[in-house]
Amino acid sequence: MRDSEIITLLQMRDERGMEEFLLHYGPLMRYIISPILKSGHDVEECVSETAMRVWDKIDMFDEDRGSFTTWLTAITRNTALNKARYEERHYSEEEDENSPSPEMTPEEVILKKERQRELKLAIEQLSSKDKNIFYRKYYYLQPTSKIAAELCMTERAVEGKLYRIRKKLRYLIGGEENEI
Amino acid sequence: MRYDPADENRFDLVLEEGMPDFLPDDVVNEVTPWKKAMHRVLIGLALTAITLNFWGLNLILPFIGHILLLLGFRTLRCENGWFNGCYVLSIVKFSYNFSALILNATIYSSRIYDSPFTYVLSAVGVIIQFATVLFLWQGIKSVQRKAGLEEGAGGAVGLVVWYSVVCVFAIFGQVHFIVAVIIFVAYICIIRNLWKLSDEMDEAGYMIKAALIRISDLVLICIMSVILTIGLIFAYVFCGEFKMDWKPKDTSQSEQIETIKEHLISLGFPEAILEDMTDEDIISCDGALQVVVDSADYPANDGRWVEERTDTSIHSYMVFDQKELRITGIGVLLPGEREQWKIIHHFLWTIDPGFYGTESIQLWPAYETASRVGWGKASDFTGQVLYDDGDTTFVSPYYTLGEETYTSDSIFWGQNTETDVFAEFSMPRGVENHRGYISYTIKETFPGSIVDAWINYTHQQTWMQYPAMTAKEKRMSNGWNDAGAFKTIQDALQFFPYKEDPLS
Repeated sequence: MRDSEIITLLQMRDERGMEEFLLHYGPLMRYIISPILKSGHDVEECVSETAMRVWDKIDMFDEDRGSFTTWLTAITRNTALNKARYEERHYSEEEDENSPSPEMTPEEVILKKERQRELKLAIEQLSSKDKNIFYRKYYYLQPTSKIAAELCMTERAVEGKLYRIRKKLRYLIGGEENEI
Repeated sequence: MRYDPADENRFDLVLEEGMPDFLPDDVVNEVTPWKKAMHRVLIGLALTAITLNFWGLNLILPFIGHILLLLGFRTLRCENGWFNGCYVLSIVKFSYNFSALILNATIYSSRIYDSPFTYVLSAVGVIIQFATVLFLWQGIKSVQRKAGLEEGAGGAVGLVVWYSVVCVFAIFGQVHFIVAVIIFVAYICIIRNLWKLSDEMDEAGYMIKAALIRISDLVLICIMSVILTIGLIFAYVFCGEFKMDWKPKDTSQSEQIETIKEHLISLGFPEAILEDMTDEDIISCDGALQVVVDSADYPANDGRWVEERTDTSIHSYMVFDQKELRITGIGVLLPGEREQWKIIHHFLWTIDPGFYGTESIQLWPAYETASRVGWGKASDFTGQVLYDDGDTTFVSPYYTLGEETYTSDSIFWGQNTETDVFAEFSMPRGVENHRGYISYTIKETFPGSIVDAWINYTHQQTWMQYPAMTAKEKRMSNGWNDAGAFKTIQDALQFFPYKEDPLS
């Protein structure tokens, strides 16, 4: 079944769409979730949660803003990160019930937006290969070994590449003015 | 916004927090464990399956293809047994191709390729090619099964069928142009389907576990390049010429030989050439009645163009300042009831041509040329090569000497099967007076015929040739006198034997 047919079925709230969606996009979701959540049980739970979010938010998918895979990647990653943060918070609360609230203040939200804008401009100056490595590390949160294996590089080469990318970004977003 | 350079962890956190919610489509499409490796495999299959016989692409493209197959399957090898099998097969195939590249730089390649062992290896190569595609097909199906997706890899099946058809045509020989075009188009379609399949496989491809590598692609390619370079240098230096059996010349001579020599010299036989001949050849001239000698110097260089201008025209012609090779043709009339001539073709490098690799002499004996009606073969071919190192003369038999039947292909005359006399040899460098001769005897079969005996001396001018060929192989496969690394010099001994002085 083609992507557009699956999306149409999901938009029509047809359960066959969900079955096909899980069949065709299950591997992608697991691929994105695995580096963020370590336990197999958590991964499967997250796949279910992501599927539910897709079911709920399918009307928000706008083909003009990007492909379905890109949209699904963002939703899956956010779901996995939220779950990871929840697990972490839950664990911390058990240890210390007086820890500060993780919710961001309005100032923090503005600062984050500003950082995102600056970083986006800096990343645009990276080569496509560097972008690939960078996003794998900081967006997909993949371990170095996984990046190395999938890009046919040694771990050492990936580490070196990431070091140089960080250095360049640090320079571009104003961390070290005299370098590069 | 400034970040403390020392605080790497904080900067990492900033980067993570600064990530956008949505990535560009092109980045998302590239983040997959499958695509890069699979594309390498597909390009590798495409490059190893088709042979383009121009600009050396028949060697370069398969070599790149085998590297890509090796690197592609290296990533996929841990996913399942089928892909691991593909990886092993790609190593075997690459090793074979790699060895062949080095072997091609030696002059022994054609001898090895003509041996039955090579036919076995070629058959194994075809089986490996089949097995690789079959294993790839099964490997893809295995990944699809693992992902719970519908199994299918039509492109791979198509490729197996395509290989089978090509093998059948290869066994039965020539293919009509139209059929060749159909095969090529089918091949392009199959590769396109496989490429499409690779994109469709992205869903299941996320299940693949890529293997971690210890040596990067670049380092691996550099190591292979270094080994290949060393191998090629070794092949050119140590396997670019024949191993000759050089020995110091025995200078002691019997009284009988001295007498024959004196007689031959009195008939006009060049003394220096007589010194180069074996005792057996000198004895065979015992009682000689007449000697005919014809000598000429030939250039083995490319010469230079000279332009002469007059008021009305420009006249351009080639000038050779040096003529390095002296070829002397000698006919010795032997005693006997029927007229018999001993024909001797002697060569001498009067000036060092600069490089000696493999050399070859092709004879068109008098009984095979225009005079074949009047003459028949009366003896086998004999001869030897010599050089001087200081005061010592070294001598060696030819590496090979004898008649050979071969098939040549010409755009003018098509395929021709010929039988000619060939001698092969190599000469050492840094010594002087490289020389040698070949002799044979003809007997009269029909009176009144001219003696017309030809020699084609093929000299290797440079080591730069790939695949490496010997001078004889080049001469057999290419009739032009200037052919790549080789230059052929022709000379003929032609005389009418029934005159007092046949050459006057």
